[in-house]
Parts: sequence; structure tokens; C-alpha cells
Amino acid sequence: MTNRAAERKPAVSHIQRKLIPSYIFLTIVSFLSVFPLYWMFTAATNTSLEVAQGKIWFGTNLIENYKTLLATDNLWQAMGNSFFYAIVQTIAALLVCSLAGYGFELYHDKGKDKLFAILLLAMMVPQVATLIPLFTMVSRLKLLNTVWAFIIPGISTPFLIMMFRQNSRNFPIDTMEASRIDGLSELGIFFRMYFPMMKSTYAAAAVITFMGAWNSYMWPRTVMKGNSVKTMPMLIANMSNGYAVDYGTLMLGVLFASLPTILIFFILQKQFAEGITGSVK
Amino acid sequence: MTKKLLALVMALCLVLGASSALAEKLTVTAWDANFNGNALKAAYEDYKANVDPDFELEINIVSGSSDVEQAITTAGASYDYSNLSDIVLFQDHYIQSFVLDYPDAWMDLEDAGINWDDFGAEKLSYSTVDGVHYGVPVDNGTAIMAYRVNLLEQCGYTIADMTGITWDKFLEVGKEVYAKTGKALLSMDGGGNDLPYMLLQAEGKSQFKDGKPYITENEDLVKIVKLICDMINEHVLILANDWTGYTNETIMQDQVAGVLNGNWIIPTMSQVTDNTGKWEITTLPTLNGGEGYAANGGSSLYITANCKNPELAKKFLAYTFGGSTQTYDNALRTGGVIGCCISAAKSNVYQEGVPFFNGQAVYSKIVEMGASVPIVEQNDYHYTCRTAIGNAIQNILTGMDVMEALTKAENELKFAMGM
Amino acid sequence: MQKQKRLGLLAKQKAAGWGFLMPAALLIFIMSFYPMVQAFITSFKTGSAAKLQWAEPITYNYSRMFQDSVFKTAMGNTFLYLIIQVPIMLVLAILLAQLLNNKDLKLRGLFRTLIFLPCATSLVSYALIFKTLFANEGLINSFLKGLGIIKENVNWLGQADTAKAVIIIALLWRWTGYNMVFFLAGLQNIEYSVYEAANIDGANGWKTFWHVTVPLLRPVIVMTGIMSINGTLQLFDESVNLTNGGPSNSTITMSHYIYNNAFVGKANFGYTSALAFIVFILVAVLAYINLRVGDTRD
Repeated sequence: MTNRAAERKPAVSHIQRKLIPSYIFLTIVSFLSVFPLYWMFTAATNTSLEVAQGKIWFGTNLIENYKTLLATDNLWQAMGNSFFYAIVQTIAALLVCSLAGYGFELYHDKGKDKLFAILLLAMMVPQVATLIPLFTMVSRLKLLNTVWAFIIPGISTPFLIMMFRQNSRNFPIDTMEASRIDGLSELGIFFRMYFPMMKSTYAAAAVITFMGAWNSYMWPRTVMKGNSVKTMPMLIANMSNGYAVDYGTLMLGVLFASLPTILIFFILQKQFAEGITGSVK
Repeated sequence: MTKKLLALVMALCLVLGASSALAEKLTVTAWDANFNGNALKAAYEDYKANVDPDFELEINIVSGSSDVEQAITTAGASYDYSNLSDIVLFQDHYIQSFVLDYPDAWMDLEDAGINWDDFGAEKLSYSTVDGVHYGVPVDNGTAIMAYRVNLLEQCGYTIADMTGITWDKFLEVGKEVYAKTGKALLSMDGGGNDLPYMLLQAEGKSQFKDGKPYITENEDLVKIVKLICDMINEHVLILANDWTGYTNETIMQDQVAGVLNGNWIIPTMSQVTDNTGKWEITTLPTLNGGEGYAANGGSSLYITANCKNPELAKKFLAYTFGGSTQTYDNALRTGGVIGCCISAAKSNVYQEGVPFFNGQAVYSKIVEMGASVPIVEQNDYHYTCRTAIGNAIQNILTGMDVMEALTKAENELKFAMGM
Repeated sequence: MQKQKRLGLLAKQKAAGWGFLMPAALLIFIMSFYPMVQAFITSFKTGSAAKLQWAEPITYNYSRMFQDSVFKTAMGNTFLYLIIQVPIMLVLAILLAQLLNNKDLKLRGLFRTLIFLPCATSLVSYALIFKTLFANEGLINSFLKGLGIIKENVNWLGQADTAKAVIIIALLWRWTGYNMVFFLAGLQNIEYSVYEAANIDGANGWKTFWHVTVPLLRPVIVMTGIMSINGTLQLFDESVNLTNGGPSNSTITMSHYIYNNAFVGKANFGYTSALAFIVFILVAVLAYINLRVGDTRD
């Protein structure tokens, strides 16, 4: 026993020693990845002039910046709007796309496969090209300045459908048959059996959709006009385009705008990784 | 039952109350909360205090002039203007083409009762289409040439020495200033390329003639482009990559001893409080000597076709930006917005000496200078042209022949214009 | 009777399948394909948005493209980004995933999170940060000067070649971690025994990577490849926010140029739509090639 332990110990440290280049490389990459975020944090505590002069240490201007931010624009309303729109879009997109992915995979036949291939084409449609026709449509439906205008182009995306379709391969057909015999309806199977089993896929899809919705800018700024429907990216863009930009305040705004996505990733990262795993099988 | 009835009556009252409040309410869309936003706030407070206590103004702030342009374009494309706010701020250079392309989007101001003689002719030339007034001027784009007088002094010059000089003389002084202080005498936003335009306007010329690009055959423009390249090569002019580089690096990091731009640049300059009292302003140099006047980047307020209460909007604009001293004074105090209303500039606030500019009464001087800015031909492709000339400057700096680069720019512009 | 009931059930199931995918399919048709068809029609028109008229000749906007030097530059730039950035990013992402997939590595979760973070950052901050870092008096220049690599400040964003390099670096920074997560997930599907077998065969790290990992990751590579090609060909944000296409249009991308035609200054929707349609076809063709090359299952 002691003998074995003595044998193993150098093996472990040997492995760790072999991993030193990996540690160094990963540390450098991690540092490079995080440094700009660190800079965002410090900049939020400095005055505009200090930011412009490239100060990279924490300052004492945080409270001032916060006051200026509140005075310039309705920060919390924009945060609230962004949360509301992003959450509604995430729920709607997850529901519609998972239903579709489920339908495409578990009821698949030639016709559906063909339709799926056609739908994938939509991934390649440039956003700039569809902006005007979409605006016209939304404005005719009298949906401008509503949450519907915000979410409607983002509810059904080929990417999410594909993700759910891939993951659905893990869903055992036997379960479906058994549930049918138990008298569950087709929709019942989806909600009672499929949904609980696919939690991690939903988590991954939620992270991706929420991030996309939270950061979307080009479309919202076309259809959401007015203070009461302003979102965070719009608030920040408004701050960053003045004649005289206050950089400390701007970076504080940016910090507020970045925190939710970072937090969501932190909270859901395990499920996120699992969900993605299923979709790349 | 009675309860229900009561609730109904109450709800009805609420609705009625809300609609009567709505009648006194206007919405306006503008960009830059600290600048235009504050000017509008000043006007709102003025009107509410002195004319109508029930008046309400909702100020929507967007990220830039392009947001307003996009709103008009998308509305025009779908023939649905109902999403526009009652009043919009619109930048001067594009309004002509937007009035012509989307005639249904605007309301004219002919019957608003504004004394148009109280504004500079150059400023009004933008917002007047076929002799019809569409806009009320807000900020004044008059260009200032500011110098760091303490640095000039080190080289043996005063602000008076720099007034009415030629650009050749400016270049000479610039070389001296760079040698003695290490600072450039000028900087330019290489993304916006406003310097060639301002210099050319000071000569009374435009980049367009009879609706066509006027570049290679425009001797003054050729000279100006050469001059700018010479200044860059001699370290007299710093060419910043973009707007942030221009404001953040060249001005806020104190790399320049001179600033030439629309007067709205003053709040940016003032952020460097260490230099308080070390700046003064004057007019632009010109190619052949004599004081030059130019303007850059102003905007005006326009009433859209979607306005539910045009009478109120007209009354509001005519009262406030049409000449109210209180509006203009507060806009200046809180937003640093210098108007172009000549009579309003006679107020005390405008006459005050400004500590940052060594006690010089810069505001009234700017309004005064604004009246001398020459009117030059405008074109829908104003910014395309600026970019093309900026590209030419880049090409010259990397070794291309001046005329070759300008010919290329002219062709690029002609292509964009579909010629 | 029994048979009929069964058939009825099957039909019902079939109908349910279609029912499930119909909302999504309809939305895509209405939100993507219908506008695209409209854009296609608009691409044969000229004039301002409110007064569109049929072009004369009808293919005017398309023939105009061949004389458009800026569009050619934009296309060249976009393909340059595609050819240089996408392979580097994917290789780097696979490499990082491979390193992080080692069970003996400590702090794996932390490394993974940190490397993923850039894509959660808001665009404005990312653009501002890179502009500040690569400014004349910025950190990169002082760092390189300190090391003695350069003597004079380099105007990174002010010169065509270096500005392109900064855009590529920024793209790598933002998206490598994102792609890494997909590869990491893919690797977790590969049985550890495959590696053990490779080790027994005496394959070294590089050989294992090239002959075992990469082939097994093929489906992920195809997926991330399509996502990256699509993302790069529609590249917009970096061009707008970092360089605004400058200096002298040397970094402008196709989508940025299309956007400028539609919304900067005088709108030219006809030409915009024609350009957008060409980009659509390009992306579709490249994605198809990618799928064909990657799909060697049978």
C-alpha cells in the first residue's frame, strides 16, 4: 500500500509537470481574455479625462459617474426593458424552436428533411436586406414600440431549431411509444417527457438566445422609438455618440449592460456546456 | 352595480383627463442628451413657466443624427409616418434632400410667426427649401479657431498676430510651435474629414458646383488638400483616426496648441481644466490672408407630418428658439449650446467673459462670426464627398500623386452620385 | 377496422409532427424569406425610398456593382478576414478545447469561463477597449516600445494593413472562446478510450490531435465553420465600431458598405438590395461547399 502510494506520487507530479506549458498558455489566454473586462471595471471608476489618458487602475469617481449616468438617462428603465424583452424573446424562441426541432427529428420524413434544409437558408439572409420590409410589416400591424416588434424576427431561428433537432437524437423513441400507450397526447409527450429530459439543451439555448436578444441593436433601434421602450444597447449608443463623451460614465453604463450576460453564463455554464455537447453529436 | 358604475365614471374621467393633458403635450426626438437634450429642456421649462403651465414635452434621445434620418427613411419607405415624433432635430447638411425625397414627412413653418431676419443667412440656407422655411435653428455650427495663447507667447506670437493670416504663415508658426513646445498647432478627425470642408467654406467655395463634384478643377480645394498634407508631414497637424481619437487623444490628452472646429467642440476642450485661461479664439486663416468664416455640424428643429397639434408645436418653437432669451441663456448655461439667434445673443449671459478662454466673451463673438459665414453650394452627397476627399488625403500621405488621388476621389464621388 | 384505426393514429402523429414545426417554419418564411423576396424585387428598382421606380435597364443595379470600386474593396477585405481569421480562430479554439479536455488539468472550469467571457461583453465596450489599447499613446505601443520591438508609436488603426490586423485580432479575441465551447462539448462526446488506444499505438500529442481529434470533431468543425463563414461574410459591428471602414475604405466590409448605402445619407434601397442579394448568394454557396467538404460520412 505504502509502496503504491510512493509510486503514484511522482507520477502525479510528473503529469502536472508535463502540463506546465498548458497552464502557462491557458493563463496567458485567460489574461488576454479578461484584461479588457478588467479595464471596463476600472474605467467605470475613473473620470472621463483619466480614461482618455489610459489610466488602468481603479479610481474614486464611481459614485460621480453613477450620478451622471442617472441624470443623463433612465438607466433602470432601460435595464428593465432589456430584461423584459430579452426574457420574452427567450421564452418564445425556446418554445417555438424546440417544438420545431422535436417535430423535425422525431417525426422526420423526407418532406420534413427537405423543409429543414430550406429553413437553414434563412441563416444566410443578411439582416440589412430585410430591415425595411420587416419594418413595413411591423408598422402595418401597428406593433411598433411594443415587445412584439422587438421579438418577432428573433422567435424562430434556424440555428436554434438545428440545435434542438440535434439534441432530440438523444430522446429515446421507446419513451414516446410507451407514453402513447399510456395515453399521452403528442403534445403531452412533448411537455411531460421531452421537456424535462432536455433541460440542459434548453439552458444552452436560453444562454445563446438571451445574449443575442440582450445585445441586439440594429433592429430594436429601428422599431423601438421613444424613451419608455429604450434598451441598454440603445442607451449606451446614445451616450457614446455625443459631441463630448463622458468616458467614465459611459463605461459604467457598459458595465451595467455587460453584467447580466456574464452572470447568466456563470449561473448556467454547466448546463450550457451539456446542452452544447448534445447539439454537436 | 353602483360600484361598477362608479368605477366606469372614474375610468372615463381618467381617460378624459389624460386626453386633455395630451393636447398640451409634444414629443421631440434629438441626439446628444447633454447638448441638444439640455437645450430642449431649457426651451420646455421656459415655455411651461412663461406661456402654458400645462405644457409637457417628451424628449426622446437617440444615438445620433443618423437615427433620425433612418426613422424618416423607414417611415418613408413604408408610407407610414405615424411613428415619428411631433418634432425632430435634423442635421443641416441632409435636410434638403430629405425634404425633397420625403415631402410628405414635413410641415412648413411659414405661418409660425418667426422673425427669420433674426438668424444668420447661412444657417437658414439649410432649412429653407425652395424659399419655404421648414426648420427653426437650434445650435450654431460656426467654426472657431482656438489657440493656446500661453504656448503662442513662448514662440513670440499673440492671438492678434494669428488673426487674418495666410495658411502659409500658419504653417510657419506651426513648425515653430512644434519645435519649441512639441505640440501640433491643429488636429483633424480623419473619420469625419471636416477640415477640408471648413477651409474651403472660408474661401467662399464648395466641393460642388451646379450639382456636380467640383474637386480636381477647384484650385482652392487642391491647394487646401496639399496644405493639409504638408501640415501633417511637418507635424503641424495631427491626423486622428476617428472622432474619439480626435477628441480623446489630440484634445483631451493635450497634444495640440490649436483647435479648429464647430463651436460645439468647446465642452470637449473645457474638460481639460488644467488649461483654463490658456485658450482664446479668433477667426480662421485663409489662403490669401484675411479673416475666414466657416461652419460645421449644426442642426435645426422640424415639425413632422405626424404632429397631432401643429399649432402648439409652431407656437412652442416660435416662442422659444424663435428668440426667447431665457431659452437661449439656459441652453448655453446647461448644455453649452450656442444659438444663432442674433437678438438673443445680446443677453448678459452671452456677453459674459468666459474664464476658460482667458475672460474673452467668446459666445457673443461666435454669434457675431456666424453672421459672416458665406453660403456655399450644398449637396445630398456632402458626406460622401468628405469621405472621398479624406480618402484622397490618406492616399497622398502614403505616396500617391495629389492630382491622381483627387481624380480618384472625384470618380468615386461621381459613381456614388450615379453620374 | 383495427388497421384503419392504426392508420388514423399514424396520420394523427404525422399531422402532429407538422403541427409542431409549423409555427417555426411559418415565422421563418414570413420574417426571412418574404422580406428577401421583397428585397429581390427592390433590387431592380431605383430612386429614393418613397419613390421607387423600375430601373432602366432593369439590371442597372447589378451592372453598377461591377464598376463599384468600393464594393470590390469591401469584398476583398471581407474575404481576407475570412481566409485569415476563421482558420486561425478554429485551430486556436480546437487547441484550447483539447488542453481543457485534459482530466488532470486543474482549474478547468475557471479557465473555461475566463476564455469564454469576451463574447459576453457588450459590443460598445469591446470596440472602445480595442480602440484605446491600440491608440497612438495606448498600452500596446508603450508595451512594444518598452520591449524595444518598435521605436516610434505605430498608428495601428490609421494604416490599412495594421488596421486590418487589429480587426482580425479583435475578432479572434471575441469569438475564439465561443467556438472553443462547442469544440469542448464535441470532445466530451469522444470516448476517452480512443485516446488511450492512440497512446498505446505510440502516437505523440500532435499526431493524436491531427489523426484522432480532428476527424472525430468533423461535425463540430462543419457547424462552427458555417457559423463563422456566415458571421464573417456578414461582418458589420467591428468594421463600424473599430475603424468605421477606414482609413480610406481599407477595412470596410460588405455588410458595412451595404448598410452605408441604405442608411447613411441618401438612401439607395435598390442598390442596397442588389448588394445584399449578392451577399446572400455568396454565403449560401460557401456554406454549401463547407457542408459538402465536411460531410464525408458515406
